[in-house]
Amino acid sequence: MWQTQPVVEMAGRVLLPMRRKNLGSGYYAACAGLRAQSQALELIASNVANISTTAFRGQQPMFHSLLASAGHQLTDPLNHAINDFGVLEGSRTDLSAGNLERTGNSLDLAIEGKGFFAIQTHGETLYTRNGNFQVSPKGQLTTAAGDLVLGEQGLPISMPSGDISISPDGTISASGAVAGKLKVVEFVPGSVPVAAGNSYYSGPAAGLRPAPDSSIRQGMLESSNVNSVKAVVDMIAVQRHAEMLERAMTVFESNLDHIAANDLPKV
Amino acid sequence: MLRALYTAASGMSAQETNLDNVANNLANSSTTGFRKRRVQFEDMIYQNVVMPGAAATQQTTFAAGLQIGLGTRTATSEVVQLQGDFSATGNPLDLTIQGNGFFQVTLPSGETAYTRSGAFQVDANGNVVTADGNPLTPAITIPTGAASITIGLDGTVSVTTAGQTAAQQVGTIQLALFPNPGGLNSTGNNLFLATTASGDPVQGTPGGSEGLGTIEQGYLEQSNVDVVEEFVQMIAAQRSYEANSRVVEAADQMLQGLNQLGR
Repeated sequence: MWQTQPVVEMAGRVLLPMRRKNLGSGYYAACAGLRAQSQALELIASNVANISTTAFRGQQPMFHSLLASAGHQLTDPLNHAINDFGVLEGSRTDLSAGNLERTGNSLDLAIEGKGFFAIQTHGETLYTRNGNFQVSPKGQLTTAAGDLVLGEQGLPISMPSGDISISPDGTISASGAVAGKLKVVEFVPGSVPVAAGNSYYSGPAAGLRPAPDSSIRQGMLESSNVNSVKAVVDMIAVQRHAEMLERAMTVFESNLDHIAANDLPKV
Repeated sequence: MLRALYTAASGMSAQETNLDNVANNLANSSTTGFRKRRVQFEDMIYQNVVMPGAAATQQTTFAAGLQIGLGTRTATSEVVQLQGDFSATGNPLDLTIQGNGFFQVTLPSGETAYTRSGAFQVDANGNVVTADGNPLTPAITIPTGAASITIGLDGTVSVTTAGQTAAQQVGTIQLALFPNPGGLNSTGNNLFLATTASGDPVQGTPGGSEGLGTIEQGYLEQSNVDVVEEFVQMIAAQRSYEANSRVVEAADQMLQGLNQLGR
């Protein structure tokens, strides 16, 4: 993961010509709008690519008006009208549930409710809805990628041999002997999961709480929550919007510059 | 170049893998004791354009941030352990397991392999072997001149020979149970090998409390591939592939529009 400059900052650079009240600032407005649309398309592409990813959570683009939040004092109504375009403010993780699909494997777990499993990777605690678990050579419960699944006390779970049954509250038992209980947490309202790839999410410890309302379904896996109809409709909207902005840029570039450069001197 | 192009390409290649798996499942829809596989996908890393919680100003932070995912990749394909249908054959050495256990057989290399396909036969030496000639473990030998073979729910094999009224016990079939059968290694010929993912098997006599299951004589377990479900999966894979290719098209058109600016 790498970090680039925040959108507002980048857009701030786009706004520079506007402060000079340059007529061509509409060109930069369309340019920033086009940039936002291309980022929105990237988000949609990521959703569509993950349509079959176990327990995937789609990302929704959020647009906002640049002027409303940037705090620039624009007194000129024309300049305001030209520059009031939308930029992509951020992405919101869609936390709605996906369908549960039956697999019949005793170590495939799905969560009904808002809960997430807690896992440990490189000394960091992350959270996942993907319950495609397995047993490591050391006998501990791990994710498909081999990261430890944590129990209620935040420690790895040693799995017993034999037929494993996992109750809706996360208690793991084999032949009646209890081996541990899965840690299931949910994000408190206002706290957002940050996607870390591999179906993992991170979140601040203060933003999490136990999830007593979530129940675990053994032998099932949750499918992706991406709605393909919505994704395709969004994509068409982005495409048309981008076309419109490209048209706008052409108009600014060809017509206005042409008038300024060729026609005005002759008046 | 738009990330969307590469993201969509990863989605298309994932759906190709999905279709490959559906094809193998469908091809084995009549294979005795076959266990279908299910492909699992994972999302790739995210590019944090705006980190959630980053400072927007000195006083405020971004509530959501802007995270752009870079696509999908195939993570695992696990063996699905749903029970297949039983079909009656009447053959005394056709066995099914009503439960989660596996038959154990010894390969020519001496390794133990596991199978759900209970179509056994007797070889020239009287050993109970699979259709490929791999002997059942622990070995069970049927004496020559056996008139009938009876296998109990608990795996007890008894035979009666011509001229004798009392049945003679010749051995007990043992089954193996895995903590994570989804992680077994399919080697073809209906055989599985244990892996670190599947865990070490627990061996036991059928009918116990471990969940091994009981043995039913005269039945064969059919493939657990549900043809309807596979067709649905195939259509879903095809349409997802199309949706991803539409994204490529959309990205291409946007770039094309850009390239034509100022002409």
